[in-house]
Order: sequence, then C-alpha cells, then structure tokens
Amino acid sequence: MTLLSVQDLKLEYDGRIILDGVSFDLAQGELKVIMGPSGSGKSTLLRCLNRLATPTGGRVVFEGRDVLGPGVDERALRQRIGFVFQNFALYRHLTALQNVTLALRHLRRMPAAEADERALRQLARMDMQAHAHKYPAQLSGGQKQRVAIARALAMDPAVLFFDEPTSALDPLMSREVVNILHQLRDERVSMLCVTHDLYLARAAGGRVMFLDEGRIHAEGEVDELFGPNADPRVRAFFHQELRQAQTAPPIDVAQPMDQAQPAGPSGPAGLAER
Amino acid sequence: MASFLALMLEYWPQVLSGLGNTLLLAAVISVTGLAGGVVVFYLAISGGPLRRRLTEGYISFFIGTPLIVLLFLMYYGLPQWGLKLTPFTVAVIGFTLNVAAYNARYLMTAFRGLDPDELQAARAQGFSDLQVFQLVILPQVMRLSVPALTNQVILNLKDSSIAFLIQYAEFFAQMQDLAIRSFRFLDAYLVAGAVYLALVSVVVVAARWLERRYVLPGVRRAR
Repeated sequence: MTLLSVQDLKLEYDGRIILDGVSFDLAQGELKVIMGPSGSGKSTLLRCLNRLATPTGGRVVFEGRDVLGPGVDERALRQRIGFVFQNFALYRHLTALQNVTLALRHLRRMPAAEADERALRQLARMDMQAHAHKYPAQLSGGQKQRVAIARALAMDPAVLFFDEPTSALDPLMSREVVNILHQLRDERVSMLCVTHDLYLARAAGGRVMFLDEGRIHAEGEVDELFGPNADPRVRAFFHQELRQAQTAPPIDVAQPMDQAQPAGPSGPAGLAER
Repeated sequence: MASFLALMLEYWPQVLSGLGNTLLLAAVISVTGLAGGVVVFYLAISGGPLRRRLTEGYISFFIGTPLIVLLFLMYYGLPQWGLKLTPFTVAVIGFTLNVAAYNARYLMTAFRGLDPDELQAARAQGFSDLQVFQLVILPQVMRLSVPALTNQVILNLKDSSIAFLIQYAEFFAQMQDLAIRSFRFLDAYLVAGAVYLALVSVVVVAARWLERRYVLPGVRRAR
C-alpha cells in the first residue's frame, strides 16, 4: 500500500530551481534512500514533504490526503512524520528522557507518568534507557542520534525521515545507524533516508534514488544503480566520493557489519567493482 | 560619623521607609522589566520584518535615551496635558520601559547562540511557534542570560536612587534629607554608599547561586 506519493514536485527559490519535478512513491513499511551530492535538493525535498518548506508545484499525497492543499493542518501532518536531523538537534536544556517526552506532554497532552513510561520504552528500543537522565552534552554522537530517533518514534509516526543521519558521525557510529535502520526495517517502520554517504546508501538495503540538480536521475537497487550500466551522473558522483574516501585516512568504512555484506577490502572501492 | 549614625537611629522610621521604598521599586521594576523584556524579545523574533524593525527601534530608543529625561518628561512634563502621575507610577513606567529594552537586548544576544536546527526540529515535531518559544527558546536564552539579567537587577537597585529626583521617597532621598538636617553630607553619602554596597552584595550572592543552579548543560565558561 502506498503511504506517500510524490508527483512532479517543484521548488523554485530566488529564481533558482531547487527541485525540478521529483516523483516517487513510498510503500507502507518500505525503506527508501535518496542519495545525491550536496546541494542536490535532498534535504529540501524532505522539508517540502512535511511543509517546513513550501514547494511551488506538484502534488504530495500522504496517507491518502493531499498535503500541499490550503486547508491542511501542518502541525497535525508534522506529528505523523518523525524527522531525524543530521546533527541530531536534541534540545540541549532537556535530558534524553525529557527530549522524548516533550512532544508527548505538550502535543499529546499525556500525563507525566504515562509520557515517561512511553519514552522509556522508546529509549529502551534504541538501547538508551541507561542514559535517560543524561543531557545531550553528556552523550556521544551515536547516542544522541539514538535519542533523536527515540524522540521521533515516541509520537508513533507513520513514517520516519532521516536527513543525512551519518554526516555528523564517525564511521563506527555510522555503522550503528545502519544497524538501527535494519532493526526498524525489520519492524516494518516506513522510512525515507536522505544521504550523500555511499556507505549508508549501500548498507541500508533499501531502494536507492539518485537525486541531482533537483531531479531523480536513476532509481533501483544499489547494485543496479552502481553497476556497469549506471547513469553517467551517478558514476561521476560516485567517483568523486570515492576519491574523497581515498584521500581520507584509511578507515574501513565498509567492513562487514552484523548482517550487511562485506564490501571488499578497500572500503567503498568494493562498490565500484561490483 | 557616630553622631550621624545616632541621627539615623533617631529617625529610623524615615530611614527604614526609604529603604523599603528602594527595595520595593527595585523589586517591581526587576519583575516588570524582565516580563517586558521577554515580550519585546518575543515580538522581535517572531513575525515579519516590520515588527522586527519596530522592536529594534524600541530597544535602540530606550537604550539610547537617558532615563532621567524620560522620568522628568512624565513627572514634570505630562501634567501640562493634565496628566498627573505619582512618583512611584512614573518610576515604575519609566524604569520598566528602559529595563525591558536592556533585557530584550540580552535575550536576543543569547538567542543568536541557539542552534537553529533545534528550533526547526521543534517545528518539525508539530509545535506551534508559541510553543517553540515557550518550550525551547525561552528556557535556553533565560539560562544563557542569567549573568546579564542578574547584573541588570543590580543596576536596577542602584539606579532606583535617581527616582529621588522625581520626589520618590526612597533611601537616598531620606539620606539626603538627614544630611541637610545635620549638615553632615560626607557622613550621609558614605553611609548611603555602604548600604547600597551591602544590598548589592546580597544580590550578587544570589546571582552567583542562580548561575550555578541554571547553567545550561554543556555550556562551559572561561575562568
């Protein structure tokens, strides 16, 4: 069943075309990855879908309703969409637990005890219950990310949006994020993940769309997207990312994870050989 | 000096009522000035460019105008239009307008230090603009501004003495009165200075406690 349908989405800002007719569907329980270089419009695309940004054209149907229409309750829409930001965006004056309960208390009007119980359940799901009373400043990047995900999940959203979930993390922690994506995918959580991280795109295990200059140029399983018949833009992006990875210190970002396949001895280069 | 202190003891009801009036004025304007500052700050960061310019104008005007001019304007000027206000009312209005401008400026400075993504995350969660302000912005900027805001309370306490110039019978006015009665000006002003210093010290101790109590987790300060 289609949960989210994006049709010919356009956004122009200051005479610049940011999104140039993006279309795709996300099914219930599906994980889709939108990959592309910086400035390709990925993050803006996510923000159009929950109306943090206002598209100039196109249609977005979410849970059977047109969400770009005039009579849409933006705040109700946003409560149905869990949003995980790239630098976690935890409220730094609140503990991990309070970060998760804030929306439950003030949007759902849940009594404190009930909100705490629910929040602790979500923190436990992210293996963070032991850190419930710590402040963001006392948590590592990966732990903050887990709290941010628990915060999003606590509201029981229909879909989770991830905006560059690994860009502020080191490779080891990126692997943790992939594990979480797998865990949530196994729990049939619908997810849309935007990234320029090849490792994440590949390891997440969903269908991948390649976005560049506001358009989707290719869509498919990872292997076909990066295979010998790849779109030239995809190939160019890929080689550029690869060069950056090779000039970086030698960290094996694509070492075998718990379930993911190994990508070969040379890190992301393993992708190129497939 | 001893004879002046004896004089103070003799006139203790007058001295005490002056002290009471000073503390009352300082307390009231600290509260109204903070409340006003929060309102001006909210108006400045929400709404369009016109409102932003208006609030910025308000802040610049009241920071840039000597308070004494405002007090005289209201106390000695307005009666020309038939509007006669008590010294206390004039002092409260004048100080509040002035202190609110300063406090708003402190809060706006702290606001610039917030993480914009946190605010966007709050909107993405479905909070209204007012809720984002109440739940995310205000708790953080207030805590970041504790040193500046408590400093303003100290200024309020000291500056309340200028209300003496619009006939408000505060502590300094009473000391001035005793000085004139006894011709012991030096003693009177030394004692007045010492009393203000003692009062300020109490506020300073409270301020340091507040700073420690409400320091934002993860905010380190230079020592």
